[in-house]
Amino acid sequence: MSGFMLVARNDIKRQFVQPFAWVLLALTCALLAWQFLVALDAYLRIVPKLANVPNSQGATDLIAIPLLRSLSGLLMLIVPLATMRSLAGERRNHSLPLLLAAGIGNLRIVLGKFLGAYALVVLVVLIAMAMPLALHFGTNMDLGRLAAAALGLLLYAGTLTAIGVACSAWTSHPALAAAAALVIGSFLAMLDMGARFQGIDNALINWLSLSTHLEPFLFGLVASVDIVYFLLLTTLALLFAGRRLDGLRARG
Amino acid sequence: MNESPVVLSLAKVSRRLSGRAIVEDLNLDIARGDVLGLLGVNGAGKSTTLRMMAGILTPSAGTVCVEGRDLANHPELARREIGYLPEEPPLHGELTVEEYLRFCARLHGIGRDKVAQAVEQAIARCELGEMRHRLTSLLSKGFRQRVGLAQAIIHEPALIVLDEPASGLDPIQALRLRELMRSMAKDCAVVLSTHVLSDVLACCDRVAILHRGRLRKTAPLSEIAALESEFVRIASESPSLESLA
Repeated sequence: MSGFMLVARNDIKRQFVQPFAWVLLALTCALLAWQFLVALDAYLRIVPKLANVPNSQGATDLIAIPLLRSLSGLLMLIVPLATMRSLAGERRNHSLPLLLAAGIGNLRIVLGKFLGAYALVVLVVLIAMAMPLALHFGTNMDLGRLAAAALGLLLYAGTLTAIGVACSAWTSHPALAAAAALVIGSFLAMLDMGARFQGIDNALINWLSLSTHLEPFLFGLVASVDIVYFLLLTTLALLFAGRRLDGLRARG
Repeated sequence: MNESPVVLSLAKVSRRLSGRAIVEDLNLDIARGDVLGLLGVNGAGKSTTLRMMAGILTPSAGTVCVEGRDLANHPELARREIGYLPEEPPLHGELTVEEYLRFCARLHGIGRDKVAQAVEQAIARCELGEMRHRLTSLLSKGFRQRVGLAQAIIHEPALIVLDEPASGLDPIQALRLRELMRSMAKDCAVVLSTHVLSDVLACCDRVAILHRGRLRKTAPLSEIAALESEFVRIASESPSLESLA
């Protein structure tokens, strides 16, 4: 097994022997399930009226996509909590020298930490996806659109995770890392808010915003430019984290 | 130094921080079978030197070679030959001793089929049998130190670097640790830092006295007639650089 997979597997194990990951998962599930059931109840009330409307919206539009959209907001909070200890915790517990002194490179340490935290985030996304997918037994869900939304959310979550790991590399205080990741993630998500209010939706500032690239996925559109954006940002954040570890070796 | 092959070689190694010299112009060779005690007062540069030997801190100048491999050019290969125990054992408190050592064994490049054997050996050598299923966060200081030592020796490295290994241990634990260090030194080179003279006298063959970031004396223990007076003389010459800052 390569070094980064080893670090990732160890981190996953360490996360799940602690109550923190379970509590985070349970609270997220409870919140999403509550929203799902409320939306389902509302949908069931209006279904008879919708039957008479031509080209009316279905369960995918009225239940699944709003649920997944609010998941994207929740991820902004969950991901910093999942990543805050990845490297900052190691520094705080004085266990970072174990990784630094081992024969694996800095980037592989960062990649391992990223995958370890991402596993928890992916689990959150999969649990959220399971709720609308369960409706497929009773109604016709737009599976293609759900798949696109899942891909978008996974890429979005990956970017937030990488930002969280980078923030975690820059401080030895997990709470500070979480706060920084939350601020940066929120900033990137709301970057074009002012521009949108002024009716600008095709400028560079829109392109830089996270939400600009997530929305098409939620509408079922998979564009390579959006995929490249998320992958680019993820890579950049991980490189920053790697640079920080290089700096720790160089500056102590 | 004995006639065995050189395991660790430091050539003109310096470490500066914000223009201030922490370690300066360090030259040192350590051979297999050697137990070198790095002696110095607080702030003499011992930990910085050890961190450079372990490859977790890059020297500002000079080269550190382990088994003939330059740490700067072949960091990953060279680090596989090093076992490092920092002053604070780098433990994962969420894991049991056995789980933690399994991870360390894999991290140090031991193949999946040999991990169990390596873990058993390390547990046996460090007398951790009774503690193997305990969480490392629940261990006493002495056992935490032993687990830290077990992770440093689990891959049978050519060089073992120990930073203040006996600090905070009770006399019995310190005695056991010294015995363990002596037994480890049969197959590898050991460098340990300390400011406790009795640690050096009990388990080292050679002593290197570091003061103000410079190596002031290196000699076999037998050649230093009165180590304590020699150490006190060097240490009291002037305050260390760090304490001046």
